[in-house]
Amino acid sequence: MEKKKKASPALSFEKALEGLEEIARRLEDGELDLDESIAEFEKGVRLARICHEKLDAAEKKIEILQKAEGGRIERRAVDTDEETGELDDDEDIQGTLL
Amino acid sequence: MNDRFYTISEFTRLIKATLTGTPELNQVWLKGEITNLTYHSSGHIYFTLKDEGAVISSVFFKYANRSMAFRLEEGMSVFAFGSVGLFEKRGSYQFTVSQVRLEGAGELQKRIEQLKKKLLAEGLFDPARRRRIPFLPRRIGVVTSPTGAALRDIIKVATRRFPNVEILIAPALVQGAGAADSVARGIEELNDPSHGVDVIIAGRGGGSFEDLMPFSEEVVVRAFANSRVPIISAVGHQVDHPLCDDAADAAAPTPSAAAEIAVPVKVDLQERIDYCRARAYSAMLSYVREATLRIDAATSVRVFRTPRDIVETRMALVRERERGMIVALERRVAEKRRRFLSVPDVRRLAAAQVARTEMRLAVASEKLQKLSPLGTLRRGYAVARGADGKIVRSVKMVAVRDRIDVILRDGALTCTVDSISRRVIGGKEEKG
Repeated sequence: MEKKKKASPALSFEKALEGLEEIARRLEDGELDLDESIAEFEKGVRLARICHEKLDAAEKKIEILQKAEGGRIERRAVDTDEETGELDDDEDIQGTLL
Repeated sequence: MNDRFYTISEFTRLIKATLTGTPELNQVWLKGEITNLTYHSSGHIYFTLKDEGAVISSVFFKYANRSMAFRLEEGMSVFAFGSVGLFEKRGSYQFTVSQVRLEGAGELQKRIEQLKKKLLAEGLFDPARRRRIPFLPRRIGVVTSPTGAALRDIIKVATRRFPNVEILIAPALVQGAGAADSVARGIEELNDPSHGVDVIIAGRGGGSFEDLMPFSEEVVVRAFANSRVPIISAVGHQVDHPLCDDAADAAAPTPSAAAEIAVPVKVDLQERIDYCRARAYSAMLSYVREATLRIDAATSVRVFRTPRDIVETRMALVRERERGMIVALERRVAEKRRRFLSVPDVRRLAAAQVARTEMRLAVASEKLQKLSPLGTLRRGYAVARGADGKIVRSVKMVAVRDRIDVILRDGALTCTVDSISRRVIGGKEEKG
């Protein structure tokens, strides 16, 4: 059973979505009494919110690993062309981690 | 002499067209020994291929030799892939090389087969080792060339499917010398938990058998197998898949297909969520609607309707009475006021009222006097009271020898009953 915590991070998106689908099915089947229906419905609404939150949690970000001074490996953001998916600053990304 | 002739250039072009138009002379493998090798400063490589009976001069242009995995050496026995070409200025033909191998295709194939057998025996290709690709990765790691079409395709497909996707690129060489090590290192680096990568795509676009070789090398296959993070093989191929496919958690025939495996379509998911939510809403709504109908149906039965009616009719009655009272009160007030106003001498009226009242009081007082037992006693009647203090109103209330008090106007006598006669004054027997 899920706790009422906000967007419980332990719950994976897939689990939340499956839970939501199960609740929709059970409500449609009408196998629950009123109290159960209301409880399930509330849980469903909560799961739907969690699902949406998880979908929107990330922010578009494309990064490339680069070797910095001292041999440390760093992440650096790069821009890409929306249409072609091409990396914008070709000059800087020729290298490899080798 | 025939008037018809060719210029040298025309004729040379004709030869060239004949040579390049002959399939047997193009896109073929030659096996030979390297002599007269020159690495030119321009980056092109010139050499002569020879065997016991013939020689052919060859050129390996910079654009083609850039991805060479090893350095050519004088006397080296090689397989060279290429086409015939013609150098007009010198009137010589040559072999234009696009790739060189140390082994023949058969030998290479044999080596891969041996490696495959070995890794299979180790259990690296056990399907049970395959993990599920996470459904919604927070961040995707990509091991490929930073400048290749593969990366472009992956970014394009991934961001189209999921606009706010996070991608971390580990740039790697994907062909030629050091490619295998570079790819293996990239996979290892992306496995570092600090990068927060949920799934890795490693691969490259399609290419020749040699181009794809790094992805069949032991170090790469092991890197795939050892990846803690679920990994998708994304090597463009049509027929023979690279060995890394067998060690990966999922294998895609192209980088684009790998991106599709790794990234769900956000809009689809949103629709799926909203669809479920709408289903839950409408199921709940129809539940309530149905329940309302059932309640209505049940309460329309007389048993339930009657108490309601009773209350309602009572309420109506009360309301009506209330209204009536208010109306009557108002009327009375109005009447009083009218009367009050219509009688000029209120004091006289009041005096008459007092007189009338006094008169009534006197009459009432006289009546009261007559009714009082004292008046009766004064007229000569007596009252008998039993031992229990009760008035004796019947001979049945006493017995012979009972003591009774007889109360007169000015005192009381204590008497004993000697005898009881049932005869009533006036001669009539009382019943009972």
